[in-house]
Amino acid sequence: MLETVAQAVINGLLIGGIYALVSIGVTLIFGVVKIVNFAQGEFVMIGMYISFFLFSYLGIDPLLSLFVSMPVLFVLGALIQHFLIRRVLGPNDMPQIFLTFALSLLLLNLSLLLFSANYRTVHTFYSDEAFHFGGLYVPEAKLVAFVVAMLLSGALWVFLHTTDLGKAMRAASQKPDVAVLMGINPNRVFAVAFGAALALAGAAGSLLMPFYSAYPFVGQVFVLMAFVAVVLGTLGNVIGALIASLMMGVAESLGIQFVGADSGLIVVFAMLLLTLAFKPNGLGGGRMR
Amino acid sequence: MPSLSAWKITALVVLAIVLLALPQVVKSSFAIDIFIRILLFSFIGVAWNLMGGYAKQLSLGHAAYFGLGAYTSTIMQVDFGISPWIGMLAGGVVAALASLPIGWLCFRLRGPYFTIATIATAQALMLIFLKFRDLAWGAEGTTIPNLGSAPLMLQFETKASYYYVVLGLLALGLLITYKIEKSWMGYYLVAIGEDEDAAGAIGVNAPRIKRDIYMISAFLTALAGTFYTQYIYFIDPATAFSFSISIEAALVSIVGGIGTLWGPVIGTVLLETTSALLQSWLGSSTGGIQLTVYALILMAVILWRPTGLMGWINDAIQRHRDRRPVTPRTAP
Repeated sequence: MLETVAQAVINGLLIGGIYALVSIGVTLIFGVVKIVNFAQGEFVMIGMYISFFLFSYLGIDPLLSLFVSMPVLFVLGALIQHFLIRRVLGPNDMPQIFLTFALSLLLLNLSLLLFSANYRTVHTFYSDEAFHFGGLYVPEAKLVAFVVAMLLSGALWVFLHTTDLGKAMRAASQKPDVAVLMGINPNRVFAVAFGAALALAGAAGSLLMPFYSAYPFVGQVFVLMAFVAVVLGTLGNVIGALIASLMMGVAESLGIQFVGADSGLIVVFAMLLLTLAFKPNGLGGGRMR
Repeated sequence: MPSLSAWKITALVVLAIVLLALPQVVKSSFAIDIFIRILLFSFIGVAWNLMGGYAKQLSLGHAAYFGLGAYTSTIMQVDFGISPWIGMLAGGVVAALASLPIGWLCFRLRGPYFTIATIATAQALMLIFLKFRDLAWGAEGTTIPNLGSAPLMLQFETKASYYYVVLGLLALGLLITYKIEKSWMGYYLVAIGEDEDAAGAIGVNAPRIKRDIYMISAFLTALAGTFYTQYIYFIDPATAFSFSISIEAALVSIVGGIGTLWGPVIGTVLLETTSALLQSWLGSSTGGIQLTVYALILMAVILWRPTGLMGWINDAIQRHRDRRPVTPRTAP
């Protein structure tokens, strides 16, 4: 019994690392640009397809394709911010919601047209390997994904706290007007934040590829998790989103283990509704950390 | 505006005559099917627009009420033999009651997170109906027993009869919207949509108004759910709680012009006609093309015409009246 619980917790933490990459992206955009990116999941999907095609045509390992998917999505993110999002910023959130929502709809259906609804998988030499600790079982691909996800999250935290650009981003998120007066160029900061968030989503996609199938709707699973994690971890809070994502991974995995294989999402929705009912401001404080 | 101007009444009468005569003139069942879709989604859009358009509470979870309406009437009909006409009203009541706890949870969040919470509640309801087989047939769903011509059971032999039913629903939705728009509630809704805190500060009871309009919107959406299930003779959680219903309800209103009486209707005419043309040109083999086009239209409207087609039409009328260039209108 104890072993089953421990195994479920390990599985949950490992996938929670991937959720963290997606939710940190969502919360970064929300914190800095002050919009919710409904299309974040579709960028995970794009990251997966990049890794899939690099593997199937050029034989490049999905982990190496991180070095392609992240820069490509960073540039894509900066362009989307510059040419689309920038035009709808302001106090009215209706166009913001529906612009990113339209983007999600567009990317999803374009990929359905271009790549079909087929499930694509990549089989690497480590896809079936696993470490054994006592009776516990840790798949190699998932462990690598988790470690890289934590490293990237840590790198973002260091970037936000030590570099000038990172500090400018935090300043712009806390007091946008004052930040502009201090000589911070909001357009540049927003473009970098949007790009960085999409790069994280792309990284999540590449890291998923060795053990998860790519298909046009794949992003929806992750974006829903991310939204719940971001509410749970307090809007705009990077560390809150990270911790909440790991918790959600564990909760989902325990739900699958003890309630039934198809009940993972029910657990997630239950968590969202409980959070809204009892902790509508999230579990932590309000500021971006 | 206390009374309608003469030309508006004339236009309404002409429109009513054209709409009533349409199925007598056009006999193609393919065409009538498209007209029914247009009227149905116009009606759903009108219901969405009450809350999403006037009060700017952007819900992407109206499928929850569509599904509750559909399931209530179907369960009453299949298990207890009660007429769907009664089931339709019962479904509306169930949806209105369900909107109370759902609204209580979702209205704790504002802006985009309200939208996400509404998505989650609709998906959660779908999962509940998928998972609990005892409740209502589980994932397989059920077919509605075909009784042939049974108007009292909301079943007809000709598509034209369904057309008149959904035309009546749309007329009801438009009438309710018109009444609300002209009442104190309409002004309160617009005030809440403009700035909820400011509206509260001048004495508008925003939580109560939002709760009430959500109930009305949910009630109307549920009527559409019953109608649709009776029309296609089938129900399962994936169709009844389909996310695409939530999307289309919002989409037609935004493209047509949110917070306007006729916006959802005009938006539906444009989107459904586009969709029907695409289908007849390309066949049904290319999945994804319809929503790709919808997404592009939506982006274009948001970036260049945020007041929707109604805003564009109003500007054109204004320009025609004034004979001088108008200043571009800002986003609502």
